Amino acid sequence: MKILVAIKQVAALDEDFEIRADGKDVEAQFLLRDLNEWDDFSLEEAMRIKEAWSGTPVEVVVVSVAPAEADETLRKCLAKGADRAIRVWDPDVEGSDPIAIARVLAAVARREAPELLLAGAQSSDHAFAATGIATAALLDWPHAAVLTQLTYNPGARSARFRRELEGGLLHEMAIDLPAVLTIQLGINTPRYASLRAIKLAAAKPIEVLTLSDLSVPASAVGEAGSLSHVRRMYVPEKGRAQMIEGSVEEQARRVIEIIREAAGGAA
Amino acid sequence: MSGILIIAEQRRGELRPGTLELVTAAQGVRRSGQKVAVALIAESPQALVPAVSVAGVDEIVTVKVAVREFDPDVIEAAVQALIEARQPSLVLLSHSIDAFGYAAAVAARHGYGFASDVFGLEFQDDALLATRGGYGQKVSIEVDFPGKPVVLLAIRGNVYKPPEGTATPAVSSLAAPPVKSRVRSVEFVEPPASDDVDMTAAEFILSIGRGIGEEANVQKFRALADKLGATLGCSRPIADAGWLPKSRQVGQSGKTASACKLYIAMGISGAIQHLAGMKHIGTVIAINSDAAASIFSIARYGVVADIFEMADALEEQYS
Amino acid sequence: MAGNDAVTRILFQDFAPGTVRLFYVIGYAAIAVFIYGVYVQVRKYRRGAPAGMPLNLLSRLESMTAILLNHRMIKRRDRKAGEAHRLIFYGFVLLFLGTATITLDYDILGPLFGVHFWHGEFYLWFSLVLDVAGVMLAGGLLYMMYRRGWLKPPKLDYARPDRTPTDPDYDRSNYRREDWAFLWTLLTIAVSGYVLEALRLVWLQTQAEVWDTRWWSPLGAAIAQGLRSAGLSDAGAGLLRRDLWWFHGLLALLFIALIPYTKVKHIFTAMGSLMFRDPQAAQRLPREKPDAPHPGVQYITDFNWKQLLSLDACTKCGRCHEACPARAVGAPLSPRDVILSLREFANRTLNAAELPAQAELDVHGKAPGQVSMETLWACRTCMACVEVCPVAIEHVPIIVQLRRKLVEDGEMDPQLRKTLQTIHKTGNSFGESKRKRAAWTKTLPFPVKDARKEPVDVLWFVGDYASFDPRNQQVTAGFATLLHDAGVDFGILYEGESNAGNDVRRVGEEGLYELLAEGNIKALAATTFNSIVTTDPHSYNTIRNEYPDFGGQYEIEHYTTLLLKLMQQGCVSTSRKLNLRVTFHDPCHLGRFNKGYDAPREILERLGCELVEMGRCRSNSFCCGAGGGRIWIPDPVGAEKPAQNRMREAARIEGLQVFVVSCPKDLTMFEDALKTSGLEGKFVVRELIELVREALAQPQATPAAPVAA
Repeated sequence: MKILVAIKQVAALDEDFEIRADGKDVEAQFLLRDLNEWDDFSLEEAMRIKEAWSGTPVEVVVVSVAPAEADETLRKCLAKGADRAIRVWDPDVEGSDPIAIARVLAAVARREAPELLLAGAQSSDHAFAATGIATAALLDWPHAAVLTQLTYNPGARSARFRRELEGGLLHEMAIDLPAVLTIQLGINTPRYASLRAIKLAAAKPIEVLTLSDLSVPASAVGEAGSLSHVRRMYVPEKGRAQMIEGSVEEQARRVIEIIREAAGGAA
Repeated sequence: MSGILIIAEQRRGELRPGTLELVTAAQGVRRSGQKVAVALIAESPQALVPAVSVAGVDEIVTVKVAVREFDPDVIEAAVQALIEARQPSLVLLSHSIDAFGYAAAVAARHGYGFASDVFGLEFQDDALLATRGGYGQKVSIEVDFPGKPVVLLAIRGNVYKPPEGTATPAVSSLAAPPVKSRVRSVEFVEPPASDDVDMTAAEFILSIGRGIGEEANVQKFRALADKLGATLGCSRPIADAGWLPKSRQVGQSGKTASACKLYIAMGISGAIQHLAGMKHIGTVIAINSDAAASIFSIARYGVVADIFEMADALEEQYS
Repeated sequence: MAGNDAVTRILFQDFAPGTVRLFYVIGYAAIAVFIYGVYVQVRKYRRGAPAGMPLNLLSRLESMTAILLNHRMIKRRDRKAGEAHRLIFYGFVLLFLGTATITLDYDILGPLFGVHFWHGEFYLWFSLVLDVAGVMLAGGLLYMMYRRGWLKPPKLDYARPDRTPTDPDYDRSNYRREDWAFLWTLLTIAVSGYVLEALRLVWLQTQAEVWDTRWWSPLGAAIAQGLRSAGLSDAGAGLLRRDLWWFHGLLALLFIALIPYTKVKHIFTAMGSLMFRDPQAAQRLPREKPDAPHPGVQYITDFNWKQLLSLDACTKCGRCHEACPARAVGAPLSPRDVILSLREFANRTLNAAELPAQAELDVHGKAPGQVSMETLWACRTCMACVEVCPVAIEHVPIIVQLRRKLVEDGEMDPQLRKTLQTIHKTGNSFGESKRKRAAWTKTLPFPVKDARKEPVDVLWFVGDYASFDPRNQQVTAGFATLLHDAGVDFGILYEGESNAGNDVRRVGEEGLYELLAEGNIKALAATTFNSIVTTDPHSYNTIRNEYPDFGGQYEIEHYTTLLLKLMQQGCVSTSRKLNLRVTFHDPCHLGRFNKGYDAPREILERLGCELVEMGRCRSNSFCCGAGGGRIWIPDPVGAEKPAQNRMREAARIEGLQVFVVSCPKDLTMFEDALKTSGLEGKFVVRELIELVREALAQPQATPAAPVAA
């Protein structure tokens, strides 16, 4: 019984960041890396299923298509209870869009043959919301996105879930397995990984694979394998709100004025 | 020449608002002579024809499918059939929760050009350029699709306005391919409403976010909202933490504050999911102690202040 | 008469040899029961983990004896009870020594060497001393009865905040019964002793060597006079004496036999706890053993023998209960009840011949004897409990070690969890970019040296709150200006500084603490400086007391000491007398933890302020409530916060103008509490640095408002 969890080490921008000379990305030194918030929830969901199941042990494997700096994040996942970690990297993967990444993930899924592949509904950096579902298409597996609740008994041929729609409406559905499910925030409460657990997890190995290990051609990844091409990245001119200055009392007075003007008949 | 194909989105027999916005988006990149078609994939697509008979739509294609509600296998097959039959150069759909479930699948399976959450679209020197956000919406990224005859784009909601004016587009139909569906719809579940608030009807909303710190402080802002005559709303983290019921959440997955004219956001930094729910509102006042909060770039008025002090001052001065 | 061999008390006088033998058999039986009881207790302690501390038995014995003899710890915050206990203690010790002397004479020296000394002049003085000792004992006991039964001080209320009345272990009547039984038994032994003494005098009144020397036992003699006047004959007295002798003897032997099974064992356990105390308890927490199967304490056997011994030393005096700020605001924590729960748990599980299965040894939870996580998380690690405990129980390390297990399991408030993750990611609790740590320096008209790039004389470890919190940044800029104008060669670590880790450690995230400490020590190792100064008492405490365990040994002082020195040397000369009526709040980590009470007060005096102390000052200072990670945990809705409690205490000072603090967390907590307790306008909260700046000779240009974080 195996659950494969695809995770991403995302990057957030540090103060006073600068765009790279080639204009296509931010200078690396201003990128602060951490586990994608959505992936925290999908890993926790996998752990929940594993820990609630008293039958044949469920193996939780995390995988990430990333360079060595992602090992820190994979270690955090191992500290949270994942049994194994796989990292796939090859210089050719540089510049991949989510679909190119999905081709690698699909190859890992074929190799690992899990019952379930979980991914985050989107990533907090570029928010494509595509990688998981693209992987499903390449595997030709059933798929569903934005899950806010999942009921799955390991070994069963199908699972029940609810996806969270606009307006807070929930849509309950059933899906055949194996399947790819992308997970939404709030489905559970991710556990805390203590520093001690993270240190101990350093003893668990991270299996590093290359494209050739997975028989993925270079043409399937990188810019060549992407479905979009980055022309440039830039800091947009932000519209700016009309700032209300003054002491707190003066600001409050002005706000109330605006309320009266705008609300008019509404208040 | 190949046209622009818009995939309409429907739920429970009703057209979703994002679809008409796509018509406007299409106008911006349509070449002279290029036709814009809207595809209706539904159990009863005929019923939706009037809703999409708006200015800018040249054709409507109905695809009758066997399922009532969203089914990725069915939709993907239908979209694929439409693309194969019509060979559009550009396919537009809403970057909606449903699209999260199928858009990337269609693109990946057939290698179409693809970008999601696009909020800017234009032609530059014969190349289609899409603009989307990066690093938590702190930067913008311009992408193009060299060598891709078909490009599939998921367009962000509340960026384009629906067109005004009606039209009478030609209506045709396409047979839906048979599909063995692997996902089944069971039922819709309304979120448990622990209070009878209807955010979609509220005209004046006071929303609170992570900046309020602890659950104990919700009371203070509830009292302020009452005093000002506003409906209390919140951002996702507050609802996820259970400090307010989900029914009060405003944002991408929460209630769209569609009737709202006046919105005060206190202690909300402006994560994109929340902004999506308030883009259309006439007057937005953002109050936050962080001068660099993203919300100040989309709000109409901004106040950099400690939200507790501001709450006290508002409460005191409002009569 | 003097030196007369006949002036003595004949033991077992007129008893048949069989009776005497019976007495000895009962005596030995009592001792056997006593020894068995001691064996069970020692076996219990040995079931704990090794303590791994240097024994230094001789010096420990010396200091323990000193504390015992001067009773200075029991006298604290309850002088009368302390004096009464001193009477009981000395009375009991003298009476014990008396019995030992008699045994020495009668059972050892006599039969073995034919030497007897218990007669004549020695015997008479002996009798007098013991009569006085008995009066002391009885007097002390009577006061204690009066205190417990009539005065009923709140600290003797055993109502526990960590259980509800429906819980099985809520009821404490068995403790009360034991307390009263102890008092009554001892008193009865003492009183029956005097009556016995009197009866003997009446019985032997015809013997001159007895009757004529009777006033050497004054109380006994007085009672004897009374009995004689009441008409008791010598024969009658003899009969009564025989019966009372057995009663007194059996009661005393019973008392002795039961020592290890009752509260009376505190005689030994208190000595043990005092002897093996850690003088740096709470200031310097113990490290985790690298090969431990799990962090902190999960099972009762994870405690070391010293901790198990100290659990038995508690006499429920209630001083810790009274001092605890969490308890004072109604939180489900009383340090006393943590100790008592653990003690009950230890007794239930570790007294048995066979050690129960490990699963039954888990001390976490809500079952009788267990400690719940609500209790553990309520603690502010302010060390008020440790500091005041007369028997040196170390509550704070116990609580922190229990927390370590909770942290490992992720059992904590979500906000706390987030803060720990934030500190791990950014090195500060504000979640700000590392680059912004020294943003406050940009508001200054002079550059602040980067200690990473050039050597400095004084390295200023700034701390999180002082660097990132807008209100505290004002104070930080003020201190920088003070140092600059005083000509001090100082520098900061800029981005090289991370959270010092004091509170992270006290939350129980030992792994993160080690990471922070090692990181800071590495940063410090790459710099050249003579000493460290810090404006943050929490950083002060951990760098001073805990970093040495990680290889970082530095000369460090809190800014108040440095500032005082500068003022004494004239580098900082304040000409203006402020003439403000102020009170000073001793920060826990500067005052109680590190005895830094005086420097701030001297500074205030030099500033010409009129200092009016609050009731709870100096070592009894009342924590602002932010410690132990509580500043990262939301307070329960509607409950009073410790800082509000403190504000109300300060408000009772007539005409108070300024509430002076010298800790960034205090400044934040008290300014907030001033508003929320509705006292805004009555007085203000100011950092000591701000007062110094006000009083300076030349008015200084105030730095521009610091950059908002």
